[in-house]
Amino acid sequence: MKLIRAELLKLFTTRLWWIMLIVLLGYLAMVLGVVIAFAGMESGGAAPPFPARDTPEFQRIVWGQATGGGILVAVLGVTMMTTEYRYQTITGTFLVTPRRSRVVAAKLGAGVLVGLVFGLAILLLFALAVVPAVLLSGGELLVTDGGIPRIVSGVLATLVLYTLFGIGVGALVRNQIVAIVAVAVWMFVLEPLVNAVPALQPVGRWTPAGAASALTNPQADLGPVSLDYLLPAWAGAAVLLGYALVFAAVASLTTVRRDIT
Amino acid sequence: MSAIEVSDLRKSFGTVKAVDGVSFTVEAGTVTGYLGPNGAGKTTTLRCLLGLVTPTAGTALVNGRRYADLGHPLTEVGAVLEATGFHPDRTALNHLRIMCTAAGLPLQRAAEALEQVGLADVAGKRVGGFSLGMRQRLGLAAALLGHPKVFILDEPANGLDPAGIQWLRGFLRFLAHEQGAAVLVSSHVLAEVEQTVDNVVIIARGRLVRQGSLAELTSGGQTPIRVRTLDPGRLGPALERAGGEVEPAADGLLRVRGLEAERIGRIVLEEQVVVTELAQERSDLQRVFLELTEGEPVGQTVEQTAGQSEGATVA
Ligand SMILES: Nc1ncnc2c1ncn2[C@@H]1O[C@H](COP(=O)(O)OP(=O)(O)OP(=O)(O)O)[C@@H](O)[C@H]1O
Ligand SMILES: [Mg+2]
Repeated sequence: MKLIRAELLKLFTTRLWWIMLIVLLGYLAMVLGVVIAFAGMESGGAAPPFPARDTPEFQRIVWGQATGGGILVAVLGVTMMTTEYRYQTITGTFLVTPRRSRVVAAKLGAGVLVGLVFGLAILLLFALAVVPAVLLSGGELLVTDGGIPRIVSGVLATLVLYTLFGIGVGALVRNQIVAIVAVAVWMFVLEPLVNAVPALQPVGRWTPAGAASALTNPQADLGPVSLDYLLPAWAGAAVLLGYALVFAAVASLTTVRRDIT
Repeated sequence: MSAIEVSDLRKSFGTVKAVDGVSFTVEAGTVTGYLGPNGAGKTTTLRCLLGLVTPTAGTALVNGRRYADLGHPLTEVGAVLEATGFHPDRTALNHLRIMCTAAGLPLQRAAEALEQVGLADVAGKRVGGFSLGMRQRLGLAAALLGHPKVFILDEPANGLDPAGIQWLRGFLRFLAHEQGAAVLVSSHVLAEVEQTVDNVVIIARGRLVRQGSLAELTSGGQTPIRVRTLDPGRLGPALERAGGEVEPAADGLLRVRGLEAERIGRIVLEEQVVVTELAQERSDLQRVFLELTEGEPVGQTVEQTAGQSEGATVA
């Protein structure tokens, strides 16, 4: 417990966390703006890109967009581990706690709280946008039904698990730049690809992004896009948690054990 | 049981034998200087003691145990390593508070330790703006947090101004002689520690060269006076008649004991011989250390080891 508190102190005594939070909220505000603006808007006879604002599908899809913060919390998780190597604070950390796997475990524990805090901040932003958008369009606000609780808790779980995923990657890679680039390429390029091409989707559903989508599956008819390939929500959570824990465990046995010189 | 016990410690990085069979102990209440030229293996030894580097062979124990086996390491060992290891964004106080939190020490120790090293004024300042000397002091403050009785310091005088070095010397002596701590302090500059240490361990190229008490190694200050003259056959007997103990060496050099420099000068004047050198010989410690640091350029360490391993491959 004291180690988890120390890890939280480490994060909150530097500037990075609120810079990340501002970037994250700014990015998601943009996403929200686009989704809300284009909801139900037909373009040249084609089906609208998003369901109309007064439909339950709209609310399910909008809330699900909150997982767009995943990449940034994953990067935050990466930095929770790699800044220690970058600034060599890892020396002091291991002097205080020579059992190194306990440090990794404490970072994962702190990551759960960090993911929750960021998730709640994001959900607050979404509530501020979704509630007026739905009410102004004359729709009925879904709070406890229509799959909203499942999607909202899925968002929280996704953000927590992505934070842990980042910590695991950071422990494994150690080099901050390499780790962040790896996460970015993985999440921006590889995952969207394997989750978009139908032939690759059997692989895609086992990727972190595929697993995360399972947690917030809007189960809406999205026209040509089908999400039926996804795992069930619980399995998605297990896969995402599995990535974080396996990376962290492998790292504890390999990179984390290396000499600190 | 010694506070610090290194026995037959070995550590290789690839083909480089950074530490190659070093053994020594440090007792409570003493300051031991760990000396050697650049690349000698000092830092590697100290990092082995602190569990940061895994030895290839041998043991490095603190209070009879491996560092990783200490229950509350900060209360047993205080360590200062190179002047990095701080997040530039973080304030000095927060840096120490994090360590206190993780170690389960009361948070007020952070402010107290900063006070002790003279950084109370800048407790709330970001470490990014600190000078090398201030970082060094902050590192020392971190070492003091748990009131340990063993201190392991790697070149702690680096970056300190003369006043800072003076202060550090006094502080290390205070820790050892008044508080009964065991202090192991590395340096590649003899002068830095000569006035502080009780014992000396000298290494070069990963191997132990000399160890003992400072008094032993400097032979109690009784070094001979070197007199070089064009006419040793005449000056030598004259010095002996005056009660000196004369040991002739090559090139007209006489090593004289039992006579003061001034007395020798007067005899030289009386005998009217030409003298080309008259100086107090360096102490044993200084000579050993100079031979090590001047005779062996730093690069040689690595080259030699690499050469040896090449030879081994061929054979
Ligand atoms: N991580 C590492 N990888 C490879 N070689 C290393 C590593 N760390 C140290 N060495 C080598 O081990 C040898 C001893 O290094 P060490 O840092 O222990 O010396 P030192 O006595 O502390 O020197 P200095 O006075 O310069 O601090 C050197 O030849 C160095 O190049
Ligand atoms: Mg060194």
